[in-house]
Amino acid sequence: MAGLYIHIPFCKRKCRYCDFISFPDFAHEDLYFVALISEMRKYAPLMRGRAFDTVFFGGGTPTALKPGRIAALLDEVRKCFDISPDAEITCEANPESATEEKLRELYSAGVNRLSIGLQSASDAELSAIGRIHTREDFLRAAEAARKAGFTNINADVMHGLPGQTQESYIGSLRLVSELDLTHISSYALILEEGTPLFDDVNAGRVTLPDPDDTADMEDAGFEFLAQKGYARYEISNFAKPGFACRHNLNYWDNGEYLGLGLNSHSALRLKGDWTRFRNTDRLDEYINELGEGKLPVRETRKIERDEEMFESVMLGLRKIEGISRAGFARRFGVDPVEHYAPAVTELELDGMLEVTEESMFLTKHGLDFQNEALIKFMEQ
Amino acid sequence: MAFPKELIRNFSIIAHIDHGKSTLADRLMQLTQTVAERDMEEQILDSMDIERERGITIKSTAVRMFYTAKDGREYMLNLIDTPGHVDFTYEVSRALAACEGAVLVVDATQGIEAQTLANVYLALDNDLEIIPVINKIDLVSADPENAIHEIEDIIGLPAEDAPQISAKTGLNVGDVLERIVTDIPAPRGDANAPLKALIFDSLYDNYMGALSYVRVMEGTVRPGDRIRFMHSGSEFDVTEVGVFTPNRQPVKELTAGEVGYISASIKSVAETKVGDTITLASNPASEPLHGYKQANPMVFCGIYPADGADYEALKEALDKLVLNDASISYEPETSQALGYGFRCGFLGLLHMEIAEERLEREFDLDLVTTAPSVIYRVIMLDGSVRMIDNPSNLPSPMEIQRMEEPMVSAHIMTPPEYVGSIMELCQDKRGVFIDMTYLEENRVKLTYRMPLNEIIFDFFDGLKSRSRGYASFDYELGEYEESDLVKLDFLLNGDMCDALSTIVHRDKAYAKGRAVAEKLQEVIPRQQFEIPIQAAIGGKIIARETVRAVRKDVLAKCYGGDITRKKKLLEKQKEGKKRMRQVGTVSVPSDAFMSVLRIN
Repeated sequence: MAGLYIHIPFCKRKCRYCDFISFPDFAHEDLYFVALISEMRKYAPLMRGRAFDTVFFGGGTPTALKPGRIAALLDEVRKCFDISPDAEITCEANPESATEEKLRELYSAGVNRLSIGLQSASDAELSAIGRIHTREDFLRAAEAARKAGFTNINADVMHGLPGQTQESYIGSLRLVSELDLTHISSYALILEEGTPLFDDVNAGRVTLPDPDDTADMEDAGFEFLAQKGYARYEISNFAKPGFACRHNLNYWDNGEYLGLGLNSHSALRLKGDWTRFRNTDRLDEYINELGEGKLPVRETRKIERDEEMFESVMLGLRKIEGISRAGFARRFGVDPVEHYAPAVTELELDGMLEVTEESMFLTKHGLDFQNEALIKFMEQ
Repeated sequence: MAFPKELIRNFSIIAHIDHGKSTLADRLMQLTQTVAERDMEEQILDSMDIERERGITIKSTAVRMFYTAKDGREYMLNLIDTPGHVDFTYEVSRALAACEGAVLVVDATQGIEAQTLANVYLALDNDLEIIPVINKIDLVSADPENAIHEIEDIIGLPAEDAPQISAKTGLNVGDVLERIVTDIPAPRGDANAPLKALIFDSLYDNYMGALSYVRVMEGTVRPGDRIRFMHSGSEFDVTEVGVFTPNRQPVKELTAGEVGYISASIKSVAETKVGDTITLASNPASEPLHGYKQANPMVFCGIYPADGADYEALKEALDKLVLNDASISYEPETSQALGYGFRCGFLGLLHMEIAEERLEREFDLDLVTTAPSVIYRVIMLDGSVRMIDNPSNLPSPMEIQRMEEPMVSAHIMTPPEYVGSIMELCQDKRGVFIDMTYLEENRVKLTYRMPLNEIIFDFFDGLKSRSRGYASFDYELGEYEESDLVKLDFLLNGDMCDALSTIVHRDKAYAKGRAVAEKLQEVIPRQQFEIPIQAAIGGKIIARETVRAVRKDVLAKCYGGDITRKKKLLEKQKEGKKRMRQVGTVSVPSDAFMSVLRIN
């Protein structure tokens, strides 16, 4: 089973913390749409025999496209690829552009999971990070989603934002839980170089909460989510039973996926070789090369077995349930606990990792220091 | 047949860094067609990468040029290129002793600097004829009148008719050649007298062993001769003698007045010490040339491989480096924090930096170095004396009667407006004012007696920043003086870190302890537990800082399908970890050990 990702690189305005490839104008929307369709058609024969059981429209802001675009893309997806009947089809939405009309269109096109970028329920915090929507917009969008028929809805919520307190963060989480959404992604803000927020913080114009306070915030927030019945199943992801995101789980299982659109990444087993590649991150190149009938692929890399194994550990240990020993052994012919024995033993002694008959997984402490745990595996 | 002695001119070029010494040398070689146009490159005599990059000369070299002067005769010009830095004063003095004259290059935009002056005095001590030359007159900011004025006032040399040149463009460089021929005396010396050859440098060649670079003062040396080094007493058989064109070219003999090299299957440059006199075993000179000194290391530091597994590689690299530079000393030492490494001694701070850089570059090593130290003289209660070059080895204060530290005479030349600020700096560095003289209207010379341990840290940087780069500085070593010194230690999470220990004056211990603790608090990354950093004298804690425990070290988001990004971040973190040293329970980044240096 494989995942299909489709990138929509347009936003009404770019958020101050965002370093994804996205353009704050829609001038090239039509050309991009045509290029995406060509790209699907180019891949169609290559993907024959592969079943996709998740599709994910990410961005950017997919809901900001012209009416009918997502439906048309999804139509083409079905023509080009073998999409399972019970596939999870997610579309990202931003509160300000998620109108009932648009959401109805998505739903009737077959989108069955909606991921809303709330980030915060505090208008002050939202404006501090350059979001263009308000708490009210979110409430309206959530209601519209319900009316349109969506039952599987995620909200992204961030912590570590300028001016944020533990109370306001939990307030955001409470709002989501009161709306009874099925899924919450709760990310700590990562200050990325090159973003306006990064410059503001470095110049002292904006102050982020102390890292210790952010850590307290996170611990309290995650505790709150547990009480409200959202089970943590990945470092930053929480779901009501049965609503974990299958598309993302596929990444963490180090499964196959095809990325379409600007700067999207792919991992596929090609003629037996585990292979990663990405698309160009330049809009002109993407449109022109597809116009010339070429795939705009960059940095194709064959991943050696050792590296593929490490990837599986790195990704798998993001999941709370950890890595299935049997699954790992099926893929690589070795038990991970045996293969990584020195690292595993050291991490067990440090209280960071636990091993059972079925799996190995990080403890709460291990999850907090996942990077250090991974370096132990890496060094081996 | 030997070249007529009266047509030989042996000379050096004296200049401050950046005043154009190497460019002038290049130009002279070009004009005399010593180097073919197509082989011309910049700083041709500086063969080491570091020399070219830093624009400095570290080793002395020589080149033989032939020049047909206006009088119609062909002259042999031997240029001995010398290092310009205070660390190498002794080497410079021997190279100058091998000459009869020197070309003094003064930058028309800058005037005379302290190092130039120091080298002029060395040249005058060696009775050299000095030809002043004003360089860089092609620059808009050139003020040749002022330069002439300074040469006459500060040095006392007539400079009215000094050639005004641009070594860069080649303008008037021919005049310099003419002046070398007319002004510098021909060498004296008798080709038939007992051999006296002055060693002004040496070089290790993989095939020929250690080569002595010599100026033959008296007598003649040929292949097959058995030679004796008069100071070391060792004897060798000459296998080859030759000259520099600038590449080595064998000749039948070297006679009085000539400059060249002697090869005698010598295993190490330690055998052929700069300043020693080579004579013939069969017909020895009655006494050596004067001026020989054993060059002693002044500044010491610990050098350790960043990766402990590279200890053997570091040892081999040091063995090889010392083949070429006998003034470096090294012996094994161990540090609890840094493991196995070496205590290395150098002539000065620049010498130390260069050696470290060569080890890292030429031998591809990753090194950790500790803060430099001078040698302290420790007089024990029982009256015995110990010389301590490593703070960790300082005996307990209970056993010490008193301590002494080496002093220097520091000479600083500066425009008068910076005098106040520089005096403050010198005072702060425990300097004792000796003298201030106006060399002329806008040039002051300050003389201070200062502890060497104060100038090996950041004195030069301080001087430059307080004078906007205008002040220059030179020093000579003086005597040991009694001083109230203490050992300052640092504890990380309760464990003493020997590699951070340093010896300081008691009055400065508190400030320094605080500053270093603060610096360590900045450079030691937060770890899974809280780390107290303490500065201590004896058992007494004088400063404390804390590195708070880190709460999380995890990447919240996995960037969709972009796995490579996460992997790169981990790689980076892993590389950073590899550069950490374990002090007890605490991981300390390698460069923290040098951070003790970089505090104000």
